Amino acid sequence: MKISLNWIKDYIDLNGISTNEIINALTMHGLEVEDFLDEAKRYTGIVVGLVKEVAKHPDADKLTVCIVYDGQSENNVVCGAPNVKKGQNVAFASLGTIIPKTKTEIKKVKIRGVESEGMICSESELELSNDDSGIMVLADDLSAGTLISEAMGMNDVIMDIAVTPNRPDALSHIGVARDLSAIFNRDLRIPKIDLDESQNDIKKFASVVIEDKINCPRYSAKVINGLAIKESPAWLKDKLTSIGLRPINNVVDVTNFILHEMGQPLHAFDLDKITERKIIVKSTTESGKFTTLDSKERILPQGTMMICDGNNEVAIAGIVGGENSEVSEKTKNILIESAYFNPSSVRRTSKKLLLATDSSYRFERGTDPSNTIYVVQRAAQLIKSVAGGEIAKGSIDEYPSKARNKEITIRLPKLKKLLGYEVQKADVNRIFQRLGINLLKDLGESLEVVIPTFRPDIEREADLIEEVARISGYDLIPAIEKVNITIDKRKDDSRFEDHLREVATSLGLNEMVNNPLIPEKLADLTGKPIMISNPQSNDMAFLRTSLLVSALPAVSLNIKKGEKDLALFELGNVFIQHNQPINDFSDFTEKKKLIYILTGNKNTRSWYSNETEYDFYDLKGLSNSFLSKLVLDIVLDDSYNSIQNNVYDYQFTKNFKGDIFGTGGKLNAVFLKNFDIEQDVYCFEFDVERLQNAIESKSSFKEILKYPKVLRDIAFIFDNSVKYISVKDFILKESSSILKSVELFDLFESKEIGKDKKSMAFGLEYYDFGRTLTDEEVDTDFQKLINKISANFNAILRGK
Amino acid sequence: MQQVELDQIRKVFDQEIENISSSGELEQLRIKYFSRNGIITRLFDELKSVPVEEKPAYGKLLNTLRTQATEEFNKKKSLLESGESNDLSKLDLTLPGKIFNIGSKHILTQTLYEIKSIFKGLGFSIYDGPELESDYYNFEALNFPADHPARDMQDTFFVSEKFLLRTHTTPVQIRIMEKEQPPIRAIMPGRVYRNEAISSRSYCMFHQVDGIYIDTDVSFAELKGTLVSFAHQFYGEGLKYRFRPSFFPFTEPSAEMDITCYICLGKGCRVCKYSGWLEILGCGMVDPNVFKNVDYDSDKYTGYAFGMGIERIAMLKYGIDDIRIFFENDLRFLKQF
Repeated sequence: MKISLNWIKDYIDLNGISTNEIINALTMHGLEVEDFLDEAKRYTGIVVGLVKEVAKHPDADKLTVCIVYDGQSENNVVCGAPNVKKGQNVAFASLGTIIPKTKTEIKKVKIRGVESEGMICSESELELSNDDSGIMVLADDLSAGTLISEAMGMNDVIMDIAVTPNRPDALSHIGVARDLSAIFNRDLRIPKIDLDESQNDIKKFASVVIEDKINCPRYSAKVINGLAIKESPAWLKDKLTSIGLRPINNVVDVTNFILHEMGQPLHAFDLDKITERKIIVKSTTESGKFTTLDSKERILPQGTMMICDGNNEVAIAGIVGGENSEVSEKTKNILIESAYFNPSSVRRTSKKLLLATDSSYRFERGTDPSNTIYVVQRAAQLIKSVAGGEIAKGSIDEYPSKARNKEITIRLPKLKKLLGYEVQKADVNRIFQRLGINLLKDLGESLEVVIPTFRPDIEREADLIEEVARISGYDLIPAIEKVNITIDKRKDDSRFEDHLREVATSLGLNEMVNNPLIPEKLADLTGKPIMISNPQSNDMAFLRTSLLVSALPAVSLNIKKGEKDLALFELGNVFIQHNQPINDFSDFTEKKKLIYILTGNKNTRSWYSNETEYDFYDLKGLSNSFLSKLVLDIVLDDSYNSIQNNVYDYQFTKNFKGDIFGTGGKLNAVFLKNFDIEQDVYCFEFDVERLQNAIESKSSFKEILKYPKVLRDIAFIFDNSVKYISVKDFILKESSSILKSVELFDLFESKEIGKDKKSMAFGLEYYDFGRTLTDEEVDTDFQKLINKISANFNAILRGK
Repeated sequence: MQQVELDQIRKVFDQEIENISSSGELEQLRIKYFSRNGIITRLFDELKSVPVEEKPAYGKLLNTLRTQATEEFNKKKSLLESGESNDLSKLDLTLPGKIFNIGSKHILTQTLYEIKSIFKGLGFSIYDGPELESDYYNFEALNFPADHPARDMQDTFFVSEKFLLRTHTTPVQIRIMEKEQPPIRAIMPGRVYRNEAISSRSYCMFHQVDGIYIDTDVSFAELKGTLVSFAHQFYGEGLKYRFRPSFFPFTEPSAEMDITCYICLGKGCRVCKYSGWLEILGCGMVDPNVFKNVDYDSDKYTGYAFGMGIERIAMLKYGIDDIRIFFENDLRFLKQF
């Protein structure tokens, strides 16, 4: 909201307080000044200059050499303007000045051999108009050296204030002035009404009926007859343009002026266009069409509160007027509406119509229901002063449900307890009085006060405490240095996730954070996705059903940028829909998942190794390392599936007691095409909650072996169909308990060992936690094992 | 054989071993002295012919010789071996080192870790909550009335009339208060969503940390003290701060906390929009309506709440000027931190 400081000064004396103090005070007491424009600062260095001499430039026909007196010294200035004359007062920019339009600095230069020490400005260069035909000539009575901003009356400061939604009272110049009056403890001057009314009673000219009494609790109006629509006087136009509004005509300008002065939206109807001169406030019973002031036809939903005349709809209540009753050049008689509309009603309509105006903005936040008469009187007075005419006697004031002033008690001990310091009762009283909050009863330890109707946000004691804190200044609240800490009841929901992140990074994975909002065609790939009802775009219209589908776009992007070797992970939530529409938490599942993704090369080409690509066994090994850090490696078992599906070429799962804890494998090339990825990608996705639940019972110290291990290696030639895991399981099953570990250390196929054969070599570790094993007992066990393997798998032992 | 002879053998051995400069020569020496027919081995063979009374003394001398010679031999051997591997002419120490891949936590995770560790130190617990929330938890229970402009402060993604993607982590406050009784001191980090146009300054999703403390005598002064302690730990001691009044439906009074812009040190720059201040968080005293919604007695309990955006904090701290880079997951970005 734009606020003019000069305008504010119509209602409060701010003498002796600097602009910076005012701006800082507003920000520090609840009306944040986001930005401001100090007009005077824009013209720093530009003063009234008196042209003392004008001579022809010796070396250029179109240039003159002037002597300009700036109040202190005489300056040699080369000027190119045709209208410069001796004795003129001009806008003179001295050396070092930044010219507002070009943002360039004036420097001492030589122009065709003649030194120039400044510049005489045009209106265009000062951004006062587009006129660049010549220099700006100022009034003769100005004295040289006067700041141009002062000479031109351009000393306003325009502030952009971010008013929070709870403060409708501050959406006007009076409102901001009221806060300043409390902050600086100065009087607020509310304009006096001095109405010159005719003898003709308003009832002769118009009537108002409120049918929708709930959404329109009050409708006040005045009538002015015989006025003349014309351009507004300068003072009014200047006020509006200073805050960025475009003047239209004297009547409309007054209504806009009042809106920004008082915060009460007004509407002026051409009374001669109001059928039967009758205003009816009612909500539409069916949907319809309506053409607003801006000549746009709008669809009105059923239940829209409208201002109607004897026949037609003439305005959308609280939002915008209709073209059919608009004030035009020919208008002679007007009715000024000053109403209070229900905030929710205006907001709903504004949302439905996607139409927000300065009026709707204020009505939906809550205007002052008690002030409609005062405001409409002030409007009538101003309109008469700028447009002439006769103000009909009296006002229309339909007020079916009277607004009541809230009465609230504030307990001073509670104030102290909540803020942590004591505010003196006198200060509390002073703040309340400045804010228009009247003391009803002083009960010693507490105060009973009446809240003005322009403060709908103050409803409870806590709201009053905030007013005291806000106006006193939050700076006064001490920052205490000691706190009480409860030592039991500590909880950290993020501990397990953080542990997973530590493990993942220790394994060389890089963490991603992906956007869970993805397009339907991707979300669909891994589950039944939940749709966003109001998405920004189709690309973000669904929630991810797996981390995979939201991570692969990032993989794809990296590959396109040339980062083809990736080891990535993410921890995040996925969303699966069960029922539609979602009315309850049981209609969907939100689950925390962990994914890791491997693609490209594990080892890049280097002097010490060849390129090796990530493969399925890297993924498996990574999974095992991961689980070993969670002490789940021996708890979970694997199962494999080499049947292609939509997602995987082949996959494996990690299981515990029949529950699947995670799934992963080599992604299907067709699936990857959805993401425009052409290289092999391996991924594994864990259910975090399941991991966490399985772990909670685990994790205890395991004894470190004190006795030597006895190592034996064996290699057999097997049929190709024999699976590693069956041999490993067989070895473990058939050996005695002194065999603790079986590792495959060599695997190959070759012509020498025959077609459809493979050699697998295993390293066996024998040990016991309680004693040293003898070679003999190991050998006995080992020899038996060799025989059993040979017999069971029809395998041939290879030389040691 | 006399001791003199043994001394002579020792002297020759010492000389020979001294002159040896390769492992080949050393092997020759080993064969000469220690092999089956070596000089020292043969001396032991001759021990049989030594008279019985001289045997112990002579045997002792022989043993000493063999022990000392073997020691010398081993010394030479290890000297030669280490010498060979230290042969710098064969080594290029300037070759690049072999790569060990190390992973990295996302910069947002790292920033959050830092925030969490500070609040843990101040006695806060950490709670999690769902991202897909009901309107009740996200708005209603937090004192955002339906049809109120306060809802415009947070543009919302809806999945149905009553369910939405949470716009802040504040709903977790309600979930905690429903389950627990005061004192409660907790922070709630997590992902939140806003239906805002994507630009360098805003994204449709980001992360927040909310916090609450509820007990019998919690004051604004304590809120200030706690947040000032946080700011000093996170941004540095001696930093200037200010609290400004603001508005959040779930706190009353409400405030925003600014710190001196640490880029320009308060002089004014592009980052702080020439104000000299940077807003880092919103806070306030828990609104009595919130207490009412969870059946807490607002005469008995008071509390404070605060919330901050992690992206904003990380952007300021690391000089990142485009929020989108957090979610592009460009490996070169991820590996930087």
